Amino acid sequence: MDLNDIRGGRLDVISEESEQQDFSRESSTMEAYTVVPEPAGRTFQRFSVNTNESLRFEPCEDSCPSPTGAEDGRDDVFEKGECEGEITSTRNQLLGKVAEMENFAGHLEEIFLTVEENFGRQEQHLEQHYNDVLQTLSQRYDDRETGLQEEKKGKLESLYNQLVACGQALDTSKELIETAQEVYRCQDKRLFLKTVMPVVKRVEEFAKEDVDLSLSTSLEFITPLADLSDVKTMMDSINIVPAPSAPVINPQLPNSATQTSLHVCWSLFSDDTVEYYELYYRPVLEDTPADGTCAPQESKVKVKETHCTVTELLPNAQYELWVTATNTTGISPASEKALYMTVPSPPVIKQRECSSCPEAALIRWESGNTNPVDSYTVELSETGTVGTENSITESIVAVPTCQCLIQLQAGRQYLISVRAVNIGGPSDRSDAITISTTGTFFYLLEDTAHPCLSMSEDGFTIFYGDEELPITAMAFEDNTFTRCVAILGDLIPVRGRHYWEVEVDDETEFRVGVAYEDTERDAYLGANGSSWCMRHIRTPSRHKYEFLHNGWSPDLRITVHPVRIGVALDYDRGTLSFFNANMEQHLHTFHCHFHNYVHPCFSLDNPGALTVHNGIQAPDYTFI
Amino acid sequence: MALTQVSSNKCAGGFQKVFKHDSTELNCKMKFAIYLPPKAETDKCPVLYWLSGLTCTEQNFITKAGSQLAAAEHGIIIVAPDTSPRGCDIEGEDESWDFGTGAGFYVDATQDPWKTNYRMYSYVTEELPKLINANFSTYPDRMSISGHSMGGHGALICALKNPGKYKEYDATVLAASYFGPQLDILIDQGRDDQFLSASQLLPDNLIAVCSEKKIPVVFRLQPGYDHSYFFIYSFINDHIKHHAKYLNAMPHCTATQTSVQSDRPLGPDAQLQ
Repeated sequence: MDLNDIRGGRLDVISEESEQQDFSRESSTMEAYTVVPEPAGRTFQRFSVNTNESLRFEPCEDSCPSPTGAEDGRDDVFEKGECEGEITSTRNQLLGKVAEMENFAGHLEEIFLTVEENFGRQEQHLEQHYNDVLQTLSQRYDDRETGLQEEKKGKLESLYNQLVACGQALDTSKELIETAQEVYRCQDKRLFLKTVMPVVKRVEEFAKEDVDLSLSTSLEFITPLADLSDVKTMMDSINIVPAPSAPVINPQLPNSATQTSLHVCWSLFSDDTVEYYELYYRPVLEDTPADGTCAPQESKVKVKETHCTVTELLPNAQYELWVTATNTTGISPASEKALYMTVPSPPVIKQRECSSCPEAALIRWESGNTNPVDSYTVELSETGTVGTENSITESIVAVPTCQCLIQLQAGRQYLISVRAVNIGGPSDRSDAITISTTGTFFYLLEDTAHPCLSMSEDGFTIFYGDEELPITAMAFEDNTFTRCVAILGDLIPVRGRHYWEVEVDDETEFRVGVAYEDTERDAYLGANGSSWCMRHIRTPSRHKYEFLHNGWSPDLRITVHPVRIGVALDYDRGTLSFFNANMEQHLHTFHCHFHNYVHPCFSLDNPGALTVHNGIQAPDYTFI
Repeated sequence: MALTQVSSNKCAGGFQKVFKHDSTELNCKMKFAIYLPPKAETDKCPVLYWLSGLTCTEQNFITKAGSQLAAAEHGIIIVAPDTSPRGCDIEGEDESWDFGTGAGFYVDATQDPWKTNYRMYSYVTEELPKLINANFSTYPDRMSISGHSMGGHGALICALKNPGKYKEYDATVLAASYFGPQLDILIDQGRDDQFLSASQLLPDNLIAVCSEKKIPVVFRLQPGYDHSYFFIYSFINDHIKHHAKYLNAMPHCTATQTSVQSDRPLGPDAQLQ
């Protein structure tokens, strides 16, 4: 809560930011500490708080009718209901007012306590400060005193010496004068003549001597200018706010980043006063060139709060951030550099590479990001039978690669989407794909198709055209069939039962069945041990059917030519069965132990077309 | 009609029994074999009628074909009648192996002295089903027919002549004029069957007609197999499964089902031949 706000008169507004900060710090920036709010808010117009009187309650505008209804002139006691209504509404209003009042009182108490705290802290602060100053001064005094003492001692010594020298000089001259007097008084003229000359010389010399009568030292004491500048600074600084110390930048909070923005928070280390902060950021590049000439650009944002949302960033990118605090005194040192990461872009599900069966679905997607991400999260929800979307029912986290095999329940419909995850958090959800667990569903593997095969737009009909393509025009890849005009299907690698149907016409010469993924691409389907198929051969006189594996087929005649063939694969029983789906007629079953997963295979032995139908629930007769 | 149990052996979890009764069609005592799967103790079961070939009785199939396990698995009752009336004392009935005793051909004779007793077609299509349905726990509307050799032919003609019952006498001719609910016929033929090489069996004719008439047939030529019960044994499971598909299907399905092992001599005059 902000005192400013109260002053502004809307007590019911509490800004978000202030909740994040330490309240005391905010208050300490106030220049004055008035505690008394003005009840200017419209909700509080009925209470006056700024007096010492107890709270006065002013009556409501619409006067509340007395309970009996006798005083307001309504005689009819049968209008009780209406009265009750009014009573109730008024009572509610009163209750509301009481609650607001309590709230207000609570707020006031909070403010009071906090301001008291502030006062205490300031007091402490000042006391400390002045103590420091006093300590410094007394220190100076001591120093000064010692200096003076020493000087005095020095001067006295030299004066004393001088005194001694003077005394000596006095003695010498006294002796000289006595000697001269003695000589003067000497009666013996001969002795007088003998000693007078040296004495005269000595007197002459003595007279020539200048007597130094100056004092050896000055009488003045040196008083250097006291260096109290630091004391002055200290005194000044009591009034001046110190420059802030470096803020502390927080590590990245989970789920605070988006694809293009980061939410950064920091805090102050101590009770500093801060006017504003400056947040710096720059991207961390993978390869920093050695000469440092292409250093990434630094950007700067000025904010007043202790948090900031930086926008217009790149997805799945790492950024280095640091912050400084500034007040009137100056700028703080920079905080430690923190590394934040934006969230990745959402992945893109590859529709044509997803397959499903009654118990599971295989979803494949593209990362959607140029740089690697940490993992993926797959989310699925079951769509209600009426088509209403339920909320996410299941999440699979820590998927390391761009595909996931999910276990599902049969006969339902699901919406599946994927998110990319890095340390910054998860990306937005990708576009969802609808998966239906009715029957087995798969697309054809285009990269296995013989060049002469073309595919319809929906991907389920293959054509072998009439025109002969010249060999040179045929682009054979590693994975394509080169002799048999064939293509494989992308069956989900799940054991269990699978069923699909193939639609042909009476004249189509085809092979349909299953093959291992590594079946020889230069061989014909059914001619080797890695493929099993039903083959239809059309001669001018009749139809011939073969069920081929390892080049061998049983001898069979079929009287009604199937145009819709049901293929039923049972991994556990090791069977592959073929049916005339229109008549529910069983044609043939291979018994084989599949040691690996197999793929549906289809080929056209002559120009024609065939259509694959899947996502069909296997009829009962197919898996007896 | 009174049934007398002749034998009962526990087999594959169920019971292989043989009963005797007085037949009104054939005017003699007749035996038939019936396999009751475990399911029959508590529930009704559909019925598969098996018609055996020349010289067989009700015993051959139940001792040599190995059908009980599959029948138990799919919950199907298998009824195997005798192949002709017995003990009627008709002159000349024991002279040849393929005419008379043990060679009923599943047709009704039209001439004396045979026409009083030799009415296997009516026995198999009318009397026997009524008897079975009255005395055992069956679904009367779920039955199918199958057979080997002469019995195969019998199965075909029974089905073709009774559209909608299971689903003429000469199968090929009957097929040519068949109009009725869709059939689903499975035929196995041993490639080393001596009757095939002797051209006594002419499956191609049947296939040709069925192709033209769009009667669904799957005909399998099994290399190395002959005409014997070893051959029957090897493929009886496939056939029971083929029947089970329809017999155990949803109630609305009319069980029109035949399966035949090894075709019969086919020709316009093949009545008792």
